Amino acid sequence: MSTEKSDALVIRLADFSESSRVVTLFTREQGKVAALAKGAKRLRGPFEAALDLLSFCRVVFIRKSSGGLDLLTEAQLTRRFAPPGRDLNALYGGYYVAELLDGLTEEHDPHPDLFDAALRTLDAIASGSDPRLPILQFELTVLKEVGRLPELDACCACHQPLELGAAARFWVSQGGLICPACSRPEYQHSEIQPGTVALLRALADDDSTLAQRLSITPRQYQELRRTLTSAISHTLERRPKMLALLKF
Amino acid sequence: MARRDFHPEEHPFGPAVGRLVNRLADLPGVGRKSAERLANHLVSCSKREALELADAIRDVKERVHRCQRCFNLTDGELCPICRDSRRDAAVVCVVEQPRDVASLEATGVFQGVYHVLGGRLAPLEGITPGDLTIDSLVERVRNQGVRELVMATNPTLEGDGTALFITNLLEGSGVKITRLARGIATGSVLEFANREMLADALRGRQSF
Ligand SMILES: [Zn+2]
Ligand SMILES: [Zn+2]
Repeated sequence: MSTEKSDALVIRLADFSESSRVVTLFTREQGKVAALAKGAKRLRGPFEAALDLLSFCRVVFIRKSSGGLDLLTEAQLTRRFAPPGRDLNALYGGYYVAELLDGLTEEHDPHPDLFDAALRTLDAIASGSDPRLPILQFELTVLKEVGRLPELDACCACHQPLELGAAARFWVSQGGLICPACSRPEYQHSEIQPGTVALLRALADDDSTLAQRLSITPRQYQELRRTLTSAISHTLERRPKMLALLKF
Repeated sequence: MARRDFHPEEHPFGPAVGRLVNRLADLPGVGRKSAERLANHLVSCSKREALELADAIRDVKERVHRCQRCFNLTDGELCPICRDSRRDAAVVCVVEQPRDVASLEATGVFQGVYHVLGGRLAPLEGITPGDLTIDSLVERVRNQGVRELVMATNPTLEGDGTALFITNLLEGSGVKITRLARGIATGSVLEFANREMLADALRGRQSF
């Protein structure tokens, strides 16, 4: 047993008994952690109502060596996720961040950069600006962090580099780009314009201020969405629940 | 972390007592020790006392169901609150669970009626509008002269999200939508709020 302190995002809550909960946290230092929070539903106590979905808090937990649930002993709220005004889509965007963190990371596998990216994404969504680009960027960050970013510079079949501006298609079952020479009619693939490929590369490389500088056409949004939906679904081995509700 | 279930045969008083202890220990807030104490009491009290408890449990399970109008728990067609003609049926307080009705009723402040959703929208857990009584609520608002909806879902991200979903759904229906004042800590649940807090939250309700 060891006591750990970390910044954390609450990504899932499940009732355990009438007043206790099992909390899934995405912690900056320890990655995903599932911990029992005794008395978490009471108003007073070591958690002070800090344990709401997507709350950013400072936590203390005891790591169980036996492989059982960790034990959460403290949670201090840093800030809540507060979607702007009456915007359900912003709320769903926040839920989607939680779904990706929960679905694509392993317990006790730390990804501090991913943690920071998740906070940035939630802040961007909460700021009330268009959530589409921050979400696309976060999807690329998650894929990169878990080693499943599609190859964006080369054909995923022949591995020849794809020049910027070259024609390519997105091969759904392989989750990567494919050059015209390798493409077969029986492969399920989708159209992707060279401009969209360039956008994907730019979004995957940069992680901060690029979002505001880009102007993206509706057609490019559609292609970006389709490409990332297939890359994420491919990695998750199912279609994310929140994509059915998120408006893009 | 699951509670260790003793095999009933292992109980020193035999399997019948063992089984009773196990079932009592399944109840919320009852640990192994309390379960032993309760079982001991039931074994040694009069037969009549013990069977009254058994009958009360059976009665509740066989007769209590959802109110046809508001989905509160009741043993009649309509719950006592919906049946009470002194209550203002045009003001409907929307809550997640029947226990929230009990908490709000304990304040004695609210004069309207209720609508129990049966939970909150939690798309990540697969809980969608079809799993709640949202359709019936919309029907009540449109056809039963509802003037005000008081949103009293839990002040959590999902509880607020549920209230927001309903508010958006009823946009343009002309119903006034208010929510409990924020006296109750965000992130907590109504059933653990105290009576004065809830009374203040009801009196100070504000536009959504
Ligand atoms: Zn190729
Ligand atoms: Zn009723």
